[in-house]
Amino acid sequence: MLTDKTGTMKEVGLAALMLVYLELSMRVGSAPICHHEQTGCHTPPLEDLFDRVVQQSSRMHGISSDLQSEFGRHFFPSKNIIEKRKCHTHGILTPADKENTQRLGRDQLTEVILRLLGAWADPLSQLLQSMSLDKNQDLNHHNINKVLEISDMVHELRDGVEKMAEKMKLLGVLGNTIGYVSPEILAPSPTVSFYKQGELNSMDHHDLLYCLNRDSNKIKNYLRVLKCTTLPGLDC
Amino acid sequence: MQSLFWMMRGLELALLLLLCAALQSNSMSPPGKPVLLSCRSPEKETFTCWWEPGSDGGLPTTHRLYYERERLKGTHECPDYQSAGKNSCFFDKNHTSIWVDYYLTVVASNALGNATSDLLKLDVMEIVKPDPPENVALQVEDREDSPLLHVSWEHPHNTDIKSGWVTIKYALRVKQGNSNKWKEYTSGTQTHFRLYSVSPGVEYTVQVRCMLDHGFWSEWSNTSSMGIPNYLQTERPFWVLMPTLFVILCTVVMFILVLKRKNLKQYVLPPVPRPKISGVDFQLLKSAPTEDTINALNQNFPCMVAWKDQMEDYLIVTENDNRFQPDFFSSQKRKNSLLFPSGLYLHSEIQESEPRLNDQENVGKRSLSYVPAQEHQNPSLNFVFTEAPDQTHSKHDASVKPFPNTGYVDIQRCGGNTQEVDEEQLQYSRVKEVDSALILEKENITLSRSGYTDIQRQEENTSEGYSRVKEVGGDSVVILQQKKNLSPDSAYQEERDYYMDYKPRSPHVTGFNRTGLCTEMNDSGYVDNVLNHF
Repeated sequence: MLTDKTGTMKEVGLAALMLVYLELSMRVGSAPICHHEQTGCHTPPLEDLFDRVVQQSSRMHGISSDLQSEFGRHFFPSKNIIEKRKCHTHGILTPADKENTQRLGRDQLTEVILRLLGAWADPLSQLLQSMSLDKNQDLNHHNINKVLEISDMVHELRDGVEKMAEKMKLLGVLGNTIGYVSPEILAPSPTVSFYKQGELNSMDHHDLLYCLNRDSNKIKNYLRVLKCTTLPGLDC
Repeated sequence: MQSLFWMMRGLELALLLLLCAALQSNSMSPPGKPVLLSCRSPEKETFTCWWEPGSDGGLPTTHRLYYERERLKGTHECPDYQSAGKNSCFFDKNHTSIWVDYYLTVVASNALGNATSDLLKLDVMEIVKPDPPENVALQVEDREDSPLLHVSWEHPHNTDIKSGWVTIKYALRVKQGNSNKWKEYTSGTQTHFRLYSVSPGVEYTVQVRCMLDHGFWSEWSNTSSMGIPNYLQTERPFWVLMPTLFVILCTVVMFILVLKRKNLKQYVLPPVPRPKISGVDFQLLKSAPTEDTINALNQNFPCMVAWKDQMEDYLIVTENDNRFQPDFFSSQKRKNSLLFPSGLYLHSEIQESEPRLNDQENVGKRSLSYVPAQEHQNPSLNFVFTEAPDQTHSKHDASVKPFPNTGYVDIQRCGGNTQEVDEEQLQYSRVKEVDSALILEKENITLSRSGYTDIQRQEENTSEGYSRVKEVGGDSVVILQQKKNLSPDSAYQEERDYYMDYKPRSPHVTGFNRTGLCTEMNDSGYVDNVLNHF
């Protein structure tokens, strides 16, 4: 009887341990994975990570372009908008041409990418909220889905780039100076306060989408340059 | 006075008009407002802007482009008016920034004034339009009788693909011959493309264009054309024709085989020859053997002497029975005659002999009845020999006329090949009876072969009597022992007329020209007495 009891206790303990282990391993989240290679955790090769990230960023830029053109067409028929505007990511210093981008180096480039991605999580959710509340129902339904898609993409892309950065750090490609940056620190000021107090109107929507388009293009370009400098291959 | 006033006025008017005219021809005005047309960046590293000047106002007018830029303080002037041609401004790499807004204006100025165009705001990211692809080359590839067109090109040389700064994608369009309908394909990032659905003998025209990132498509490249040669087509009909012919041939052969299947079956699987007896219908036998059929059987059965190796002389003996009524005989004879197949010559003989037989009524002695052979060339009857002078009554004496009382006995040689019998010489032996011994004297009578047939007797109607052969003395003497007849008819026995007959015991074939019956001696040495129903 005593042996039986100990036996069952052992089984229970083992099961509990296994459950805990599974629970921990299934957590993906935004925490960096695989701090040590010795633990034997498995990540895809760097080329695959790069490819996926680049594809995702390209898609994101495509959707944002569509959105902006639709918005612009419907609301503002004239091409040229004279008034000057500033995006909320104005504060983030980004290279503006090829030479500067290449001169920046991998580490800083990765950091810029991460910052940009972090800066858009909140504004997009606000945009979604604002658009769903909009009285104008004609094009909102179609556009809201796209905004939702972009919002998800931004999150996924951010996770992906972080994982890629971790991998690069492991490989020695990236220095260890890059740390996990929180979006609150990156964004110089919250979106809402930057644009307007209170609700965002359609003008604000348009501005926001314009800024989104620009930033997604930046992200796409930076990632491609990063890939081609890190892994020069057939695609470059 | 008033006229002079009016003259002065007119003069002023004329002078004024003159002045106006002079002024018109030499209008000098400030310049018209220029218009900024468009700007374009071919590789996302530089860009160019074009404007259209307004009227120049008759005076030399200069145009200047001024811009302001996001994150750049001040107003700046175009760095390069020359490189891109007239009324253009070229921004080189150092002056180009992406993802920032430019605000451009063009100012036209002359001695009389200035004119400023409308403001143009742009982001270089949004004005990217590459140059068309270069060196579009066409090549025909011949692959297993199906030609294909291989199109290859190069990226526009001012775009930097290697660094990843731009992502390029291509599209091409193809048209056949002289038609105006283009077919478009996208090529992704590859700089070559294969057209598979290509017909020989047609000329194809191809154009390629490209796009950077999500910008604008370039212009179509210059056309490149190539015709597909015709020689590739000639081989194909041959390989199409051969299997078709083969199929047709097979169907024809099958058709013929099906039509002639019966003949084919007979040829491939010939029927097994079954024993067939001419003149005998097996169907008749199967139903119920009748008297007629059995007679026919008797007639037709050949002599099977093969199992006797030795050639034997058979003695065919018949004896007349005087008791028989002539009409009985005749009737019997008729019956017999009916039995005989037409192939036998016997019929006529018998019928002719009938009256003769009738005449023999008064023959009181035993006599032999025989059919005279010399009336016909084909005697086929068995000869009956008479006992010698003891014969008291014989009804058949009349038939004896052509011959002496001695009769001939047909000796047949049986053995071996019955077909050789055709030209056999029949040997007849004269029979003399002395007491109970029959003495045969051999005489050779040659008979022609044709038409010699046998008489078959009905077995049923014959009451058999046997005379025991006591002794066979050589070739010419047969000694008989007279015995009482076993037949139920006692009358026969009393008469002591008997027929000795060598009855054929085996089938006899009439198809040949047989020369007589072949019989064999019983082992027990008995010779049949068979009533001869002539």
